[in-house]
Amino acid sequence: MQPSLAMSDTKSPSSVLDELKNSAGFFDPYPEQIINARKFEKILNELDCLIPIKVSVVGNTTTDQICSLLRFWLGLNGFCADIRQGPFGTLEQSVFDPKSDIYSNDPDIVWIFTSHRDFLYEAVECDSEAEYNDRVESVIERFETLWANVHQNCAAQIIQNNVDLPFERVMGNFDGSSRFGRLTFLRDLNAELSRRTTSGISILDLDHISNIFGKANWCEERYWHHAKISFSLDAHGYVAHAVARLIAAVKGRSRKCLVLDLDNTLWGGVIGDDGLDGIELGDGPAGEAFVSFQKYLKALSKRGVVLAVCSKNELENAEEVFLKHPAMVLRKDDIAVFVANWQNKADNIRVIAERLNLGLDALVFVDDNPAERDLVRQELPMVAVPELPENPELYLRTLDQCKYFEIANFSREDQLRTDMYRNNAQREEERLVHTDLDNFLSGLNMSGSIGQITDKNLSRVSQLINKSNQFHLTTTRYPEAKINSMLESDEFICRSVRLKDKFGDNGLISVFILRRENESEMKIDTWVMSCRVLSRGVEDFICNEMISLTKSSGCKKLVGKYFATPKNKLVESLYDRLGFDLVSKSGQDSTWSIDPEQSNDQRENHIKKVSETEYDQF
Amino acid sequence: MTIDRNTVSNRLQEVFKRVFDDPDMRISDDMTAADHSEWDSLMHIGLMASVETEFSISFSAGEIAHLGSVGELIDLIEERSNASGA
Repeated sequence: MQPSLAMSDTKSPSSVLDELKNSAGFFDPYPEQIINARKFEKILNELDCLIPIKVSVVGNTTTDQICSLLRFWLGLNGFCADIRQGPFGTLEQSVFDPKSDIYSNDPDIVWIFTSHRDFLYEAVECDSEAEYNDRVESVIERFETLWANVHQNCAAQIIQNNVDLPFERVMGNFDGSSRFGRLTFLRDLNAELSRRTTSGISILDLDHISNIFGKANWCEERYWHHAKISFSLDAHGYVAHAVARLIAAVKGRSRKCLVLDLDNTLWGGVIGDDGLDGIELGDGPAGEAFVSFQKYLKALSKRGVVLAVCSKNELENAEEVFLKHPAMVLRKDDIAVFVANWQNKADNIRVIAERLNLGLDALVFVDDNPAERDLVRQELPMVAVPELPENPELYLRTLDQCKYFEIANFSREDQLRTDMYRNNAQREEERLVHTDLDNFLSGLNMSGSIGQITDKNLSRVSQLINKSNQFHLTTTRYPEAKINSMLESDEFICRSVRLKDKFGDNGLISVFILRRENESEMKIDTWVMSCRVLSRGVEDFICNEMISLTKSSGCKKLVGKYFATPKNKLVESLYDRLGFDLVSKSGQDSTWSIDPEQSNDQRENHIKKVSETEYDQF
Repeated sequence: MTIDRNTVSNRLQEVFKRVFDDPDMRISDDMTAADHSEWDSLMHIGLMASVETEFSISFSAGEIAHLGSVGELIDLIEERSNASGA
């Protein structure tokens, strides 16, 4: 036996994956990418921790290279991908044919892989604004037709490349400076594509990717001429990384929380040694770099990334900077959980995750100290730990390019997330103080409102249905169009639930959809809930509502289904606990039923039911 | 500094081993893509990119497309390396 083989045999597949996560770089050149991808393919079948995902890729150019790297980068993001490709050069044909191979595996994602190669050197000579707009419109319509056909033929989320603006300019500067130049046209097209997308479509900003990679090296003409490969081989890793992160976002697997070290990460120097006046923050080149990093972090927090602090410091010293330093951008309020002590950082990060009720795989840890990074990588391989450069002025771009916090859509709840998580962490602390759970819950002064699904909350509703994994009884995924059609139908009763307590507004935290199967039977088609509000009696509160809705519709039975997946074990015995009887069980499916007349519709809980108006008032 | 054919051949063999992930792989002058089941068009592009990196040279579209045997590849690398180094 070869010694090298014996060596690799001793490593477990998951440790090989962890090593790849730490060693593979998205800017690595193509030859290194394919060697890493090969290592990954070897262990793929032995990894049981990956989530299966089905992706179909269609385009008019060669997609073999990107597909093989996409499997690898999806693997690093926790997915085991089954990837189908439409035959070369058959974008429209593959999309329009319902029997096409790209639909045969019922894909989760359809990636429409277009580039500037799909747009000819058309001189956009137009006589009028209207004529020009028609030109833009006709291309947009081509895309909308593609999207409509994909959505008709499968339930996938679409990923649509926008146009990577080309390097060459036939009319020179005029291409982008004139009203009707080719670059102007492609820029308008990109802006219009973004405006036309709905929640079933995510744009992959290929133009931005090509800018970051570097436009001068983005196109490699010889591989275009040899094999119709749209862009440089060396850019393939970065594109695969970007799309894998976007897919992770679509599947609700983006990172949610950024855990920050303090000394030499948020400011220069060591607060315990240098004191409030001695640390570098604010005026001066070194201090300004930290200020701009903090501004970036503050902006992340405003759009829904939860910030936490994990520092080896005296708590008092660490907090003093946040309270008293005039150049601090981040304030105490921006931090959901603040941990400063002398314990092992891995242990502290576990505590932070628990306080926030987040999985370790939702965390990113940023620390300038390589030893701390290494410790956390070893102890907690689920936590993402970016390799930080020596220079603090490069922290911002390093973190940004990792794309940990991609989102597929954006709602009001996202903006409020830090508040919610900080409140949650306070609740959690309070729970630890209260030994008696009932006492704790009643002290929360919770009130809940159950209301309709409307245009205003549809995007949040869709987010919950399509991204929740843990509290999701049936794992049904519905595009917004489907939800809309259910809202219009008499067959369905759709409700959204909001919850408030003394710490603040939790927002829209649960959705359920009941379906009138026939005159006597009401079925719980979908029931999802945010894990932020677990163990607070919300499920009992909602069940009471379902029972009373069933009664008032005259049905004699309320039927619930549980479809077991690796991620929803949490609700395995929910129906049992709520008093439903098991009717049947086969494989992953179990069916439960309850008679509303026989059932008590006042399951005890500590949530006061209020109307929507009352809810919005106080 | 010139590079001799033997050195090219040895270094190229290492590239083949890496790309095909086969530590026992032996290359020969008359070997072609037809001799190796894994040497398809996808693999060919990976191979050529790896060769370019190893020898710090660059091939044209025509050279990538019309490469015949490993022997021809060695000749091409030798010629290109010595030309660029001169």
